[in-house]
Amino acid sequence: MSDEFGRIETAFEEIRNRGQQAIDAGQLEEAVEILQTAVDLATGQGDTRLVDLTVCNRAAALVELGRGEGELPRLREILVRNNDPVNCRIAAYTIARHYEVSKNYKKALFYARITLGRSEQLERRDWLASSHNLIGNTLLAESYIEEACAEYEKALELIPSEPTPARAKILLNIGYCRILEHRYDEGYRQLYESLALLRRVGARKYEVLARLDLCFAHLETRRYRHALRQGSMALGLAESIGDHASVKNALYLLGEVANLNGDLDTARAHFGRLQREFFPDAGYLPEFLLAVDIRKLVNLHA
Amino acid sequence: MAAEKIRQVQLVGRKIRELRKEHKLTQVELSARLGIQQSDLSRMEKGEYRVSLDTLFRILAEFKLSIGEFFEGVAKESITPRDVRLVQGFKSLSEDAQREVEDFIAFKAAQTRHEED
Repeated sequence: MSDEFGRIETAFEEIRNRGQQAIDAGQLEEAVEILQTAVDLATGQGDTRLVDLTVCNRAAALVELGRGEGELPRLREILVRNNDPVNCRIAAYTIARHYEVSKNYKKALFYARITLGRSEQLERRDWLASSHNLIGNTLLAESYIEEACAEYEKALELIPSEPTPARAKILLNIGYCRILEHRYDEGYRQLYESLALLRRVGARKYEVLARLDLCFAHLETRRYRHALRQGSMALGLAESIGDHASVKNALYLLGEVANLNGDLDTARAHFGRLQREFFPDAGYLPEFLLAVDIRKLVNLHA
Repeated sequence: MAAEKIRQVQLVGRKIRELRKEHKLTQVELSARLGIQQSDLSRMEKGEYRVSLDTLFRILAEFKLSIGEFFEGVAKESITPRDVRLVQGFKSLSEDAQREVEDFIAFKAAQTRHEED
């Protein structure tokens, strides 16, 4: 009986890992499909704990797709029912992540703190790390840069040193903070280390973000050729995985690179595309961006 | 050479505050219209708050902001991006060079008047 249970657990673990890999690779629809298989399997087993776990995993993929709203009642129910500490932690994390994705940072912070509390009970360092990282994200999105950085530092201390997407994401976040703080040497080191890790594990969804941050870093340090390279690669990747938010940021950054480099035609082309595709009612936008430097106002992680 | 754009962090925050007051809006009212917290708007007006592109352009759209409105003390309706770039170029010159440009403008203006006469 316990062998049978062990085999089932292993099978679920494999499915969940495949689902997570698909999420990291930006193959979100595929991730939902894989994780739906796990939900079906668990439902067939009639094991409430496994059903809850797989529902949380599938919800995590839907959240990344921006379709998490419908999952909230079920996730809250799992959290409130409080049957299993692991499932409660995953449910809280997924809810927090949903609010982060939908830019409701105060609610995200609330659930991220619950996630941290649950992770402390479970004494799992990797989960503690991702909780601190999530808290950092909500703080950074609200421009509490120093406080966010402190959370990221805690996360980095806790995360195992293996080359994982989780570690790369933390490095990416610290790197961006350092650039905002004008600590460029550290920022570059962390961002390039993050990029190398992300490329190694094939996490294209986050590679886009690393390249955007690097583009911004090079822009801030007037290395326009490097900024152009990173921005162009970010744009191509973002388009290939359908990451519209990153396409938007890439177009802005590439326009800014060209403008600051004196290439007004290219700048106008990028800003024009940004306006047409994302702000169709703001006809003034290309000329506005050509004339006004908004770099100090913009948060790429918000 | 990199074109020096006007640095806007404090100016934009200050401008948002001015425009809000011109439109007779409280921070609570404007933040509700923008879908952000009042405390966040307050920090934005102080230049302490970075926002996403979406939020920034929502604010600009709220005031139907034109480029001209961003530059205090300038004839708002007539200013164009080209004018802005000319001013930026002028400001980047040394004091002596600026005086030369002023003299040249005065010379051209006098020449134009002479031709018209």
